[in-house]
Amino acid sequence: MTAATIAHEGHHDDHALALYREVADIRLLGFVLFLISDCVLFSSFIFAYIYMRDAAPVWPPTGVGLPDANLAAVNSIILFGSGATMHFAMENWKHGTEIKFRRWMVATIVLGALFLTGQGWEYTHINATWWGSTFGAAFFTLTGMHGFHVFCGIIFLIVLLNQTLSGVYNKKQYFGLVAGTLYWHFVDVIWVFLFFLFYVW
Amino acid sequence: MAQQARPRQGLGPGFWPVTLLLAVICAFCDYFVVVTPASSILREAAAPADQTDELFKVLTFFGVIVFVFTIGYLVYFAIVWRKKKTDPEDALGIQIHGNFQLELWWTIVPTLLVIAIGAISIKDWAGIFYAQGGQLAVEAIGYQFGWEFRYPGLADPVPDELHLPLGVPTTIHISSKDVIHGFWTPEVRLKQDAVPGLVTTIHITPTEVGTYRIICSEYCGARHGYMVGKLIIEPKNTFTAFLDHEKYVQAHAPKGPGGLPPGVNLANGNASAGQTLFAQKCSACHSLGAFDQRIVGPGLGKIFADPSHPKLVDGAAATPEDAAGIIDSGFTGDIGTMPNAKTNGLSNDDIANLVVYLESVSKGQ
Amino acid sequence: MAVAAEVQHSALAEHIHHAPKSFINRYIFTLDHKIIGLQYMIVGSLFFIISGLLAELIRVQLLNSDGRFLTPEHFNELYSVHGSSMVWLVIIPLATGGFGNFVMPLMIGARDVAFPWLNAASFWMFPPAGLILFSSFLVGAPDAGWTEYPPVSLQGPPGTSMWCVAIFLIGISSTLTGINFLVTMLKMRAPGMTFTRMPLFVWAQLATAVLNMVATTALAAALLALFLERTFGIPFYDPSHGGSPVMWQHMFWFYSHPAVYIMILPAFGVISEVLPTFARKPIFGYKMIAFSSIAIALLGFMVWAHHMFTSGMTPWLVLPFMILTFIIAVPTGIKIFSWVATLWGGNIRYTTAMLFAVGFIATFTFGGITGIFLAAVPADYQEHGTYFVVAHIHYVLFGGSVFGLLAGAYYWFPKMSGRLLNEFWGHVHFWITFVAFNVTFLPMHWLGLLGMPRRVPVYDPQFTDWNRVASIGSFFLVIGMAVFFINVIWSIKHGKRAGPNPWNARTLEWMTSSPPPYYNFVKVPGVLHAPYEFDQPLPYIGLEPAENVVSGYKAPMPAGSH
Repeated sequence: MTAATIAHEGHHDDHALALYREVADIRLLGFVLFLISDCVLFSSFIFAYIYMRDAAPVWPPTGVGLPDANLAAVNSIILFGSGATMHFAMENWKHGTEIKFRRWMVATIVLGALFLTGQGWEYTHINATWWGSTFGAAFFTLTGMHGFHVFCGIIFLIVLLNQTLSGVYNKKQYFGLVAGTLYWHFVDVIWVFLFFLFYVW
Repeated sequence: MAQQARPRQGLGPGFWPVTLLLAVICAFCDYFVVVTPASSILREAAAPADQTDELFKVLTFFGVIVFVFTIGYLVYFAIVWRKKKTDPEDALGIQIHGNFQLELWWTIVPTLLVIAIGAISIKDWAGIFYAQGGQLAVEAIGYQFGWEFRYPGLADPVPDELHLPLGVPTTIHISSKDVIHGFWTPEVRLKQDAVPGLVTTIHITPTEVGTYRIICSEYCGARHGYMVGKLIIEPKNTFTAFLDHEKYVQAHAPKGPGGLPPGVNLANGNASAGQTLFAQKCSACHSLGAFDQRIVGPGLGKIFADPSHPKLVDGAAATPEDAAGIIDSGFTGDIGTMPNAKTNGLSNDDIANLVVYLESVSKGQ
Repeated sequence: MAVAAEVQHSALAEHIHHAPKSFINRYIFTLDHKIIGLQYMIVGSLFFIISGLLAELIRVQLLNSDGRFLTPEHFNELYSVHGSSMVWLVIIPLATGGFGNFVMPLMIGARDVAFPWLNAASFWMFPPAGLILFSSFLVGAPDAGWTEYPPVSLQGPPGTSMWCVAIFLIGISSTLTGINFLVTMLKMRAPGMTFTRMPLFVWAQLATAVLNMVATTALAAALLALFLERTFGIPFYDPSHGGSPVMWQHMFWFYSHPAVYIMILPAFGVISEVLPTFARKPIFGYKMIAFSSIAIALLGFMVWAHHMFTSGMTPWLVLPFMILTFIIAVPTGIKIFSWVATLWGGNIRYTTAMLFAVGFIATFTFGGITGIFLAAVPADYQEHGTYFVVAHIHYVLFGGSVFGLLAGAYYWFPKMSGRLLNEFWGHVHFWITFVAFNVTFLPMHWLGLLGMPRRVPVYDPQFTDWNRVASIGSFFLVIGMAVFFINVIWSIKHGKRAGPNPWNARTLEWMTSSPPPYYNFVKVPGVLHAPYEFDQPLPYIGLEPAENVVSGYKAPMPAGSH
């Protein structure tokens, strides 16, 4: 039962709308629970990083250069910016201004891709390897997992954008977009923790 | 549709006689728990094994009561409240949902019991953690698949046998060369894992002469089941004789060059090469000042000249061989952890150079 | 709180699909929670039989103190796969994916789970995960126990990496099932079914789903790190590269302790349903049993390091973990006492399900008491890593989880198949199993305390006699379980026909046909009361009489559905 089917059949049908609302409610809870379990994944590795750092006699480990906080700060602004553009996109969708919605969505996707490019640049210029130290182990695994989540998020947003173009959603029935927004903000929140952990602490 | 519930019969046929019987069974079992010395089941070879045994008795005492009454009532109810053949097919039981008083008490009493057991456990834990030790310090080092032991005054470890003198408060520092092992003598009632990269510690005072097994209690590889050492508790003079004998054996045993790590030849060491190396590799963690001038590790300025730079186990001054050994295999202990030569990227020649350099620094100050 | 005489249904409850037509869509790639539940049960039972036989090989080796039946390498592989399989391929899938899937939606009056497609996907990860784990025997199976502590697991054969992959996969399945069930129980209960009108089996599944959902990803992290270190040398756990072996233990046990509650809570739920049904009286202390399930789930997250008392972790840390572990004993004890009190004043019929429920209380209580012995740190110093622990885990996991699931099997077999299991052979199964179980595992307590470590293929000759007793006991366990499986296979075709409610029980799954129609209920009823008042009329309104309900896919589309 896709939103498309319901939307087409039941655009003016109260029963179909009630059904959609129930289904969307269920899906929203499921998606939030999924994000919570994803949080635990990141939390476990964050625990590992804190543990390894606390146990290490010397930090950073000999031969390791800590990453550049300034580059990361710029990259973070890009990522948080994409959170803002996502928010504006959703506001426009709810008001029915689809063209503006699409522009803000594209901006979000572009900023997300820029963030990943920044990460890639940092990976190639940092004085640490994934296998060379416990710092590398934690840093590349955590930022790598996060980057993978951002990548999946970008794909997700592209798919959603495409779906809006083929009329899958309308002003009342747009659960996919809600999920996309939530996911994108989730990725932002995780980055707040990672930024603090690796670049501030 | 309502069915007639079975009429009440007080607490049920024979409830109080059964309760009395259960109490008698408890008293009977717990009497034996109290009077049987734990050492008659398994010898107690060292203090504070008696603390552990006291706790076992407490746990068994209360465990018996909980088990006998719970299972006793379970079995009794299961038998006595069976459907009678004369009852109609769908006859009901007594339709109660609960009993506030009863539920309150069976929450409060276990909570109190748990608090009591907790308090006794904490007391016994403290008795073990803060047990006397330290008059003698030995090391137990596990490897795949055996134990070796270091004693004060002996340069080399002794394989397989941990000798301890009767009545002497002893600290055993436990570590591992490779994977996690478990250091366990059942008669001592204490166990700590031997973890590579860490030192764990137990304090005991041997109280009973004998030979006991040291069992590896943590899976460590294919021959984990065969990894057994010996704990030999002996009178003080026998222990001293053992140490003397080992000293003699080690002094006269054919060795590699001066007991150094294989491939390290101090005669070829170059002090100025060592100085460069020191600045590159060591100065991040070690100063050349006194022992207590720590950056991460201790100051190395006087390690060969001053007994306040102790060897790990006793107070004697370190030898060049000791230094070479530590640089080669790394070190883990109360004062910290030092990576081994491989991690630091040091060759055998580098080790020789560093040691010779440190000797020159020691002599010069 | 009454429900209106005309039950207000959710739009979702009135939304019934046409039944799938092909055999494949009905029974293989099904989205029907009932069939998926059966799929889990079949595959889980297969893994149970195989892992059980692995254990028998272990017991043959241990007949002699210097047995040569197996090489040490094979021996280590056997108990490692036995443990891993029993935890992740048997008990957790059977308890959640099997019984949870079949029974829970029926019990709450739902037509399926919240995400049927996800449910099927969760199941289809299960056989591949098992295949990966068992095929590791071809290249050297994992050999460091189900706990795979590094650094020794870093040295392990290729099967250790396969173990990481297999468990990661089944972990994804578990997490998704947890999410699915949680949403189902929170959002899809029948009208009027408030939390305090939910059956206790549902409370148990609720607590379990939370654990499944939150804890399993922590294991995924640990497995991923171990896999990365073994494959690419990424330093997490190897101390010679700066890593920490103790860190693995924290990460592993943070999941694996809640995992044992995932394994036991559904069994608790079964007992709470079986006892009132066959004693013909309400469960004693409903609210306390419900809340204690939640308490156990929450506390279960806070005690993981009680597996690490001898590990060399920061010394003072043992105390809070010890205290919290003691505290868990209180809600557990409350349940046990409530179950015993449920028997008081009953009018008890000893079906096999009831026998296993009563047997469960005995063996689980004993296992719970040895848990207190393990929680007390100084006592644990003697017990850790010995057969005392092996005894404890089997009392709570076999005498607990397996007995509970067996009670559930006898109880719900009629609902699943429309036929009854043979009660005579059920009684035979119970008595052989109960006696053999105790003969096998009771001696292990003193074997451990007197000096026999675990995970060893040989042992000090002084322990020979009791090891032989345990081994002989275990051979009879095989006989008992064989009786059960033969009973199941025979009864599917030839068992006495069961109607909708052979036990005269009161929970919703019994208010429809056996097996239920593919949409579960012709009309989703409204719920007026908790289902434990045996002297009252059934607390449901709007039910179609179960005798009129057609089973399975033959059932016609209900009138008025959209």
